[in-house]
Amino acid sequence: MVLELKHLTGGYSKEPVIKDISLNIKEGEIVGLIGLNGAGKSTTIKHILGLLRPHSGTIEVRGKTLKEDVEEYRRHLGYIPESPILYEELTLKEHIEMTAMAYGLTTEEVEKRKGPLLKRFRLEDKEDTFPSHFSKGMKQKVMLICAFIVEPDLYIIDEPFLGLDPLGIESLIELMISERDKKRSILMSTHILSTAERYCDRYIIIDQGEKIADGSLDDLREKTGLLNATLDEIYIELTGGNVDE
Amino acid sequence: MSKSLFESRMTEDVKIRSYYGKFIFNSHFLVFLMIAAGVLLYTLLSLRESLNPSIYIDVLSAIILAVVLNPKYRTLLKEADMLFLPPYEKHMDNYFKGAKIYSLSLGITLPVVTSLAILIMLTIGHDVLTLSLFFIMAIILYFNTFSIKTLAVNTNLNRLAVTLSYLFIDFTSLFLILIHPAFFILAVILVILSQIFVRRHVFENISWMNYTSYEKDQQQSYYQTVSMFTNVKSIDKSFKRRRVLDFLLPVYKGEKFDKKHMYEYLFYRSFIRDHDLPMIVLRIMILFFIIMFWISNLYVSLIFSLFGIYIIVLQMSQIYTAQAYLLWPKVWPVKRSYIQDSYIRYSHKVVFIITLIFLFIFIIIHPAQFYLSLIFPIWGYLLNRVYSKSIYKKEEELSD
Repeated sequence: MVLELKHLTGGYSKEPVIKDISLNIKEGEIVGLIGLNGAGKSTTIKHILGLLRPHSGTIEVRGKTLKEDVEEYRRHLGYIPESPILYEELTLKEHIEMTAMAYGLTTEEVEKRKGPLLKRFRLEDKEDTFPSHFSKGMKQKVMLICAFIVEPDLYIIDEPFLGLDPLGIESLIELMISERDKKRSILMSTHILSTAERYCDRYIIIDQGEKIADGSLDDLREKTGLLNATLDEIYIELTGGNVDE
Repeated sequence: MSKSLFESRMTEDVKIRSYYGKFIFNSHFLVFLMIAAGVLLYTLLSLRESLNPSIYIDVLSAIILAVVLNPKYRTLLKEADMLFLPPYEKHMDNYFKGAKIYSLSLGITLPVVTSLAILIMLTIGHDVLTLSLFFIMAIILYFNTFSIKTLAVNTNLNRLAVTLSYLFIDFTSLFLILIHPAFFILAVILVILSQIFVRRHVFENISWMNYTSYEKDQQQSYYQTVSMFTNVKSIDKSFKRRRVLDFLLPVYKGEKFDKKHMYEYLFYRSFIRDHDLPMIVLRIMILFFIIMFWISNLYVSLIFSLFGIYIIVLQMSQIYTAQAYLLWPKVWPVKRSYIQDSYIRYSHKVVFIITLIFLFIFIIIHPAQFYLSLIFPIWGYLLNRVYSKSIYKKEEELSD
């Protein structure tokens, strides 16, 4: 198991935002963490990353908790935030080098891996530029390159398609599928269900901080009795049309 | 309504100033100020005894006073005011009146203290009438400069041109009076002309964009000053590529291309590419060296060197603080201790180079007492060590 959450309850203050969430992610899976704004997706992700401390419950990455071994726990995770977070003082090349150093890559590995990624996201000629001067979509591509260059066991991607152009979205989907084929896993939070439906193997639906469903599209159809339904329709059926904003 | 709006903002601003004031005017700085003031007074009185009347003293006095006759104008407007306040534009008189009174109270100390110091110098060779007219004109110029500043915000006039203009008017007016008291009339004419000129350019309505952007700049400028003494959360950090300095940036390969050195790699880039920090360090050094050369007193040079190094060490730490609270150090698989080790390696090297510069300047000024300057690198090392530890401790407390 790459990731395992057991009875996780937590939030930003004493009042829990997510309640008793248990989930797991196996090798080579793309899992969609689905929910509307404010459902608890980002809070769940922040707990997995160790940015928030759980009120109760445990989180294990490759069988290790954050407390047991911080470096080992984080080494398996690659994170792409919803909004690009960049060092204004570093060039694109330097961002890649910083990330590579953090994850223990050698300079040879960096040279070998960065070319195809830069080409895929059409940033080959921007290595010496400050990404802080890029458009939002290009900044997001920098985040993607930095995450994919380290080839972690689990990618955690928060709202991956925000700001990307159609070519960027296609490149990302191709990359995600190719990583899945290499037995790497992806946990992706989104509320754009029509896109998620195209390539996720499994969906974890969160509503008002609670997990209300977990399974493949067919599992969810069976559970709701909506045999030809889209993910949107299933979500509305499961939540009773609740919009928690 | 506009009066109470300004009062609530003024209360907020006073709170911010008193919060940062505690850090700026800490016991070390107060001791330094007292010693520096004592030395300055002693030097001025000695100069007064030994110097003869000279045009250079007059020029220097007029320049110094012209530079400090520069009151702040803080409207305390916020960006959102651009959207919400225009409908109340006609009822904002009390707000701006309050802003003017508050602003005048903010910048009065420096001109008063400087005037007293200049008074000591100008007693060499000037009579009571000249001195009286000189200081009456200084008061007029203080209010004239303030008026020009407040008016110019609501014009299309270039800010730098306005600043240079009132510096020129202030210097010329003061200097002319020192040449002959009758030139007081000419100075008054200059003041009147400057008022007429600016008033002719003032927009009929309030340019909210001008006002809010001016206030934002003033606020940043205040935070930048404060950041010379302590860390400021609200300061907008900006960076600039200085390609000519790229050769100073380490590029790691082989064994050093690892998590133990990655933050050192970052800290050098943050320092060299920071928009303000290298310039602030440079300005502190130049200012202190000028004072050291000018006064050429052993004790002054020692105190200013030690204090200059102290301020620069405080400045350096903002690089660590800025990085430590970002997202990536909390996500990357890198121990906190590696970041701290990187910072200490980086900062010791930079501080060492800076202390060497102080050492060389000190030796040039006081070659016979060169051995005293050997204390600078030790002082820099110890300060940096103690201060870094206190930052790490604060960081640990915050993370708990």
